[in-house]
This record gives sequence, C-alpha cells and structure tokens, in this order.
Amino acid sequence: MIEPDRKTAPSPGFGLGLRPDHYPDFLRGPQPVDWLEIISENYMVPGGKPLAMLDAIRADYPMVMHGVSLSIGSDEPLDMDYLAALKALESRVEPLWISDHLCWTGINAHNTHDLLPLPYDAPALDCVVENIGRVQDYLGRRILIENPSSYVTFRSSDRSEWDFLAEMAERADCLLLLDVNNIYVSARNHGFDPEDYLAGLPADRIQQMHLAGHSDMGDHVIDTHDTDVCDAVWDLYASAIRRFGSVATMIERDDAIPPLADVLAELDCARALSARALETEHA
Amino acid sequence: MPEALREMQRRFLAGIVGDDADAEELIVDDGRVGARRRLDIYRNNYRASLTGVLADHYERLHAYLGDEQFDNIAQAYVKAHPSTTRNLRYYGEALQAFLAKHFPADGELAELAALDWALRHAFDARDTAVLDAAAVGALGDAWIEQRLALHPSVRLLRVRFNVAALWSALDAEREPPEPVAFASPVALLVWRSGQQPSFRSLPEAEADALARFEAGSSFTALSAHVIAAMGEAGAMEALAAWLGRWLADGVLILAD
Repeated sequence: MIEPDRKTAPSPGFGLGLRPDHYPDFLRGPQPVDWLEIISENYMVPGGKPLAMLDAIRADYPMVMHGVSLSIGSDEPLDMDYLAALKALESRVEPLWISDHLCWTGINAHNTHDLLPLPYDAPALDCVVENIGRVQDYLGRRILIENPSSYVTFRSSDRSEWDFLAEMAERADCLLLLDVNNIYVSARNHGFDPEDYLAGLPADRIQQMHLAGHSDMGDHVIDTHDTDVCDAVWDLYASAIRRFGSVATMIERDDAIPPLADVLAELDCARALSARALETEHA
Repeated sequence: MPEALREMQRRFLAGIVGDDADAEELIVDDGRVGARRRLDIYRNNYRASLTGVLADHYERLHAYLGDEQFDNIAQAYVKAHPSTTRNLRYYGEALQAFLAKHFPADGELAELAALDWALRHAFDARDTAVLDAAAVGALGDAWIEQRLALHPSVRLLRVRFNVAALWSALDAEREPPEPVAFASPVALLVWRSGQQPSFRSLPEAEADALARFEAGSSFTALSAHVIAAMGEAGAMEALAAWLGRWLADGVLILAD
C-alpha cells in the first residue's frame, strides 16, 4: 500500500552502534544485525583505518549516521565547515538517515563536547526550528533529532520536553530519534511520568529508537551507556512499541564495550520484547 | 524582557568550563538535588570527556606518568585550554608545549607526547597512492626527475631524549628505562605502514634527505646533494639502502 503522507521510512529492523572494538567481528563474517549506526564524527577524519573499516563494513550493512556535534540549539550561526564535512560523509556512506541531538554543545567558539540542555521555552524553540530547517535544506533531507538525557531544568522553561519536541518536529518538519533510556533518566532526574512523555510525542515522526544503560546514583541517574539496559527501560521500551508500532531499534553502548555476542544478546531481547509488544497490541 | 538564549548559553558555559557559580541561578533548585550538584554533573562530564580524550591521544605518556599524575596534568591542561575544536579528535595538540613549559626539567615528557601525537596523526592521515616498487616499475626511469613529497602520514621528529626506547617499553607493557638525554638530537620517522602507525629512529643524513622531499626535491636532486656531501661511493650505497626502505615502507609520494 502506498502511504503518501508517511513521513518515516519503513523500519529496517534491529541494529547496533558500530564500535571499533567490534570491527574484527564484522569483518570476519555476517552478524545477525539488520543495520549499523556510526558516530559521524569518528569518520570525519582524512583517511586511514577508520575510513577503511567504514567502507569495508558499509559494503555489507545498511548504515545510519548519528552525530554529536551539530549543536542545533546554539544561538549562533551553524558551523558550515562541520555541515560540509557531514555532507561529504553522507555521500560516502549513503545512510538511511542522519540524526543528532536536541542540545547545544558550545557557544562563542568554545565547545564542551557534551550534549548540553536547552531551556524549553519559545526563544529556544524558534532557534532550534530555524537551525533544523537550515540543516535540512542544506542536506536535502529530513533529519532525526534525539531527546537528550538531562540533569537540570532551566528557570525559564515553560513547557515539558515532550511538548517542546512535538512542536519542534511539527514546525521544522523533522523526524525523531527516541532514546528510551534518556526518557527514563530524565524522568528520574526531573520527576515526571515517562508514560506522559510517550503520550505527548507525534507517533508518525518516530523513525528510530535507542536503548542503553545508565548509572543509578540514588537521588539521580547518569546516562553513561556503559552497562546493560535495565528492566525499567525494557518495560518502557515495550510500552513505546505498543504505542508507536514497529520502530528501528538499536543498542547504544559507548563505554566498557563488551564482546559483540553480549550486545547481540541484548539486541535479541529487544527483538523478542518488540514482537511480544506488537502481539499484545494486535491481540 | 527575558534573557536572550545566547546570553543564557554564555552564562551556562562559563558555569561548566569556568566553574562560575552564577550559572546556578539559571537552574531550578527543587530541593531534592540542588542546582550546584546538578550543574556539577555537567562540570564532571566536561572534564572527564576532555581528560579522557587526552588519555586516548597520549596513551604512552599516560602509561609513563601513571593515572594520578597524568590526570593532574590533564586537568590542568583542560583548565588552561578550553576546547575550540568541533571534533574531539583534534583536541589536545598543545599538550606538548604545555609540558615543555611546565616541566622544563623533565624534557622527555614533551617529547613522548610529541611522539604519541605524531602516531595519532599517522593513524588517520589522508590516504594517497604511495611510491612503492611497483609504482616505480610502472613509471620507468622518468620517476627520478619527478618532484617527490612525503606521504601525509609522515612526520619527522627530532628528540633529545630516549623516548623511542621509552615508548617501545611502555607499548610492550615493560618497565621503561630511565630517561636519558643524548649529546645531540636524534631523528625519528613516524609514518603509517598499511593501517598501522609506526616509527623508527634514523641517521641524521637520512633524516636530512627525507626533509628535502618536504621541499619537493626529486631523487636526482637529492642524489646530487648526497654525492656532494658523502662522495660518490658512499652516496650510492646510502641512497640505494635508503630508497629500498622508503619504497618498502611507503613514506614517499609523487608531489604532482
């Protein structure tokens, strides 16, 4: 059936974040992974092993590009050198899609290399919507914006993160990358109900989901991506699948990288949980 | 009138990079986890990611100094050098100068850092066709008149300390030797061999010969220079040995 109004591409299935520790596994033979996500910046280098590995592995797997430096929320002109490098990488990789975060990383030529939070108010929304528009015009495609994990609420915020994301997606006509772990982390840190969050999102714009682990510090939670996905995040994932249907899902592990088999086992959990959630939904 | 987003971002950044307490005014203090502790999470993330990338870039220096000393130096460097690069890959180049300035009595530190950085550069330097035996064979005799250059991965370093031995011991996870200063500087050649960064020390005459390719010398021009310096017999022997190794290692390219 042709769906002319469909904004997202059909789900390519279940993927993993490609990490250098796992290069040998992917070169040795086929792995049970439908697609891979690369960190764009890791391949924005002149040459050598990173690009050789990228080309070799790309020959066997569809890829998506996930950036950490676009800084879509910085209230200053976009970095056109960065965008040019992103576009050059895009033509090399021919990714299914390109994503970055709802955040800012620096201002006035100083960069924290961290995904800094935005106030959820009208001026920030205007800034983000305008910047997404410029990026999409430059790349000639919709981009995905990921919900961040955050530890602070700005005094000037006058709406929820999900309201901000929903309005942003609509006005900028972009897609969303839903990080289920980030929703859990922020819900714990700010005391909101993650189900309210899911209920407030535009289902037709969710193209991808991230699953990851975090560190529980008791009175707050830090998004460390260095451990397994916890039960509460699995439950929230099942709930998200029941709401949004089948969505491309991956495990995002950035630190204390375990053997590939361990991450594949987590991905199998996601497959099983997603299938069960879709069954209950359609039962 | 509400504060402009840009001004708010400037204040927040100053709160993270410069520990400015003023930024805490921007944050809701909900009485559960205070504004200061919430901002501290970003302060810690910032320092940890930059010191972490320094540890990646300067792996053998890190091993030489040990976790605690390296971390102290890395923290001081991060404080003195806020990042102005978009990609973390390029953060930290000034650490060599920082070490030279702050540890003048431990000259091996800056040199070990320079070697780590040159190897890191070689790792992902631009790919381009190397002049190897097959390329020379295909070009025929004409190649000796062509302007040559060093492969983009190549760096020629001059060191006063035994950092090559230090680096190799640390790489093999052996106890490094004591730092020793040489009577005169020694040349190190850093390049990428296949996908693997490599280095070796080399005689001054060979280093001087390679440096001439940085200026676009041809092999004929180099030969004339070496003959003048060494005499014909010595020059022929040296040039043949050097060339064999340069072609095998892939350190030369055609300049044009």
